[in-house]
Amino acid sequence: MQAALSAIEYYLPERTISTEGLSAEFPEWSVDKIDAKTGIRERHIAASGECASDMAVAAARKLFESGACRSDQIDYILLCTQSPDYFLPTTACLIQDRLGIPKTAGALDFNLGCSGYIYGLGLAQGLIASGQATKILLLTAETYSKFLNPGDRSVRTIFGDAAAATLVSAIDSPDPLIGPFIYGTDGSGGPNLIVPAGGVRCPRTAETGVAVEEADGNRRSRNDLFMNGAEIFSFTIEVIPQTVDGLLRKAGLSLEDVDLFVFHQANKYMLDHLRKRLRIPREKFQTTMSHCGNTVSSTIPIALKHAAVERTPRRGSRVMLVGFGVGYSWGAAMVRWSGLYGCPGE
Amino acid sequence: MTMEEFLDQFGELLEMPAGSLRAEDELSELEGWNSMAMVGFIAFVDEQFEKTLSPRLFAKCSTVADLARLAGLNA
Repeated sequence: MQAALSAIEYYLPERTISTEGLSAEFPEWSVDKIDAKTGIRERHIAASGECASDMAVAAARKLFESGACRSDQIDYILLCTQSPDYFLPTTACLIQDRLGIPKTAGALDFNLGCSGYIYGLGLAQGLIASGQATKILLLTAETYSKFLNPGDRSVRTIFGDAAAATLVSAIDSPDPLIGPFIYGTDGSGGPNLIVPAGGVRCPRTAETGVAVEEADGNRRSRNDLFMNGAEIFSFTIEVIPQTVDGLLRKAGLSLEDVDLFVFHQANKYMLDHLRKRLRIPREKFQTTMSHCGNTVSSTIPIALKHAAVERTPRRGSRVMLVGFGVGYSWGAAMVRWSGLYGCPGE
Repeated sequence: MTMEEFLDQFGELLEMPAGSLRAEDELSELEGWNSMAMVGFIAFVDEQFEKTLSPRLFAKCSTVADLARLAGLNA
């Protein structure tokens, strides 16, 4: 049995923050400037009291309602999140209960950000290939908005909340449809994208909540997300070209053999630079961030869904997925397109 | 690339009037030298000099000429 990526649905919270709205809050950054750097017009923000599990459940329900599968057919739940409902119990267990997925299913959370979808596909592929599961609900859900200081424009312009539900199914196929994979980790980059306080290492106190205006003009406390954009950019351009080359070599392909590239949708500026550096033709490079921003581990499934609708890729098309970011963690995978449930050209 | 060309392009990145940037200018005095400009500079050096600069190296540079040398210009 081989694993196939068979359906994707996603959920965006109702409340939005537009680029115009942000420009009004931060007058020194014009709408044009924000748009040029980020390519983002709108970010969706989870309601107060709306958690990652709520969004993941909403995305999963959309998947079931589409007819792609029933909840009682799922035998494994993988949830990628860095904003779980609780430290414990596992949020995926709570989701099992809410969705009415059989108690015979496995469920786990894994803590990754922008690389999470690649790792999730890797786990799903392994579970199916080893006969441990047949219908996997791969969920990505993130509420980074709850970690952002209102006075930190560097992150408020970029991040949006969302959840995506991907069905990875076992199918009878002589050849693998998902893989090969390349992974990478560099923990020395940890401090460059971090919420310093609130975990076990540094619990929240009155002091950690005190916001300070930093040299870059942004306000944040140790309870808030900190991102060193320049360091992340430097890491990305160092590591991603090698990763793409490595994956092509592993797959025995040339760049021209790849029909579609779906990168983690960090921001338009970074993606434009990477695309040019890698000499990927514009028409093969999926860009989907204007309406939702950087939704962390959901950017790739959201972009894939849009690619399915906008491009109707041919069955058997070679798609390269590349995720990279917080950790630092990165990964890349090849996927043979087998159509997404409910999308034209399936 | 000549120093003049570098000053032109770097000056544009910093949103300064054309021709106003000089090699001996102190980075700490340049209002436009912020984290967004650093990202732009890293991209510029990657494109023009095929070199990946770590922002940590910027702390060792005092002047625009120092940055130009870091990028790989013989200044």
